[in-house]
Amino acid sequence: MKYAFFPGCTMAYRLPFAEKSVRMIAPKFDIELVDLPFTCCPEPNAIRAMSDDTWITFAARNIALAEKEGLNILTACAGCHESLSLAKHELDASQEKKEMVNGILKNVDVEYKGTSSIIHVHQLLFDEVGIETLSTKVTRPIPIKVVTHSGCHLLRPERILHVDDAEVPVKLDLLCEALGMEPLDYMDKTMCCGAGVRKTNSVTSYAVLREKLTSMDMVEPQAIVVFCPTCFITFESGQRVVNRIFGTNFMFPVFYYTELLALAMGLPDTDLLLDEHRVKIDLPKTKEVQDKAKVDLGDSLASSP
Amino acid sequence: MLVKGRSQKRSDDMADDIQKSKLDALKKTARPCFQCGICTSSCPVFRVAPELNPRVSVDSIITKGEVPREGNEWLCAYCLMCDQRCPMGVSLAEILMEIKNISAREGKAPPDVIESAESLMADGCLSPISSRSDKKRTELGLPDLPKADPADVQKLFKATGAFEVLEINKAAQQEEAAE
Repeated sequence: MKYAFFPGCTMAYRLPFAEKSVRMIAPKFDIELVDLPFTCCPEPNAIRAMSDDTWITFAARNIALAEKEGLNILTACAGCHESLSLAKHELDASQEKKEMVNGILKNVDVEYKGTSSIIHVHQLLFDEVGIETLSTKVTRPIPIKVVTHSGCHLLRPERILHVDDAEVPVKLDLLCEALGMEPLDYMDKTMCCGAGVRKTNSVTSYAVLREKLTSMDMVEPQAIVVFCPTCFITFESGQRVVNRIFGTNFMFPVFYYTELLALAMGLPDTDLLLDEHRVKIDLPKTKEVQDKAKVDLGDSLASSP
Repeated sequence: MLVKGRSQKRSDDMADDIQKSKLDALKKTARPCFQCGICTSSCPVFRVAPELNPRVSVDSIITKGEVPREGNEWLCAYCLMCDQRCPMGVSLAEILMEIKNISAREGKAPPDVIESAESLMADGCLSPISSRSDKKRTELGLPDLPKADPADVQKLFKATGAFEVLEINKAAQQEEAAE
């Protein structure tokens, strides 16, 4: 399967090791990634707030580039995913809007048609690859306790995105379980990380993050697992700022999910990824279980009716 | 204050029309709200900064027919929790987004929003691309990402009205600095 890969500005230029992890695991699931001259998605909070028309036109151009190649888009950032999906939803629902946008896009020789779909790596792994196939690739399980945070813009608006239940998300937990981790439930699981107002009002933003981290801390996880580069940065770097402002003592290691997947699959060069983390963790060493996995699969197949 | 010429007057009228049509659309969207307040009780920002109160913002639109002027809409993190939970299907986050659009056209966008718009116009990208980030990509063996033609980015920026909004806000910033 081939996708137009949309890593997004934040992942590409601030969290390149997370992008690396997506590119490491993709070929193992027969996924080919194609790079196209995309612009920023654009980020909804700033650009869309300034001009709705600008936001939807830039998003339409990005989608149209993939359409031209006959490819569906694979996103890796929750913000990009939401922005592109919402723009597509609006354009497909309103002929008038589509004509307005295409009237502008004509100036850059692009036309939005509505033929490409948009999925996030989360959906690729859970819905397309599936937990069962994923589990067969795991050779080095990672036995740690984690809390997951899917990201607001992967979950909501649920009626348009359909990634997971927006009030009770479980899919990222199941994906973690498949790698041998123990996902813990916590009170404010669907709460925002606060990133959306970080630049406009930083103290408010870090107060939101403090609430979120406090809720996570109550269940004593060893790490936080996310599926959004912006949430990653908010948790990993933001916790230090929270500590400074509010006198707390948070020091959670944070992972983008596919980093852990690459580790659990025993892929080479995962040290490159871990070296980039600001809060390190000694992951418990587990024995290779490749042979056992094969036996287990055999057993479950044998016992199925 | 400068005396406005005829062409300036005409563009002001046009801008007023845009603002009025935006407000009319907002009133229609907000109408089903019966002020239950689940939006506010679900809002992570309200929890720490109660000056952002989505229910009250909508109340002003319904009862007074006015866009609230306090500027609190810029505190919305657009997490869409209010949108998810509204029993009447009113998207408070989308209403706040529209209010931000109206405010921005009045020159009231916060500096970081202006900055983001400027980097979109300059680089087609919001995160700064530096020699450091390029070096890191090379170290990790990541490909050079193809970039959009800057001329195309500029064209879209202008044709969608963003350039105009940017100018309005820059002028407002300068006026404020002068005072």
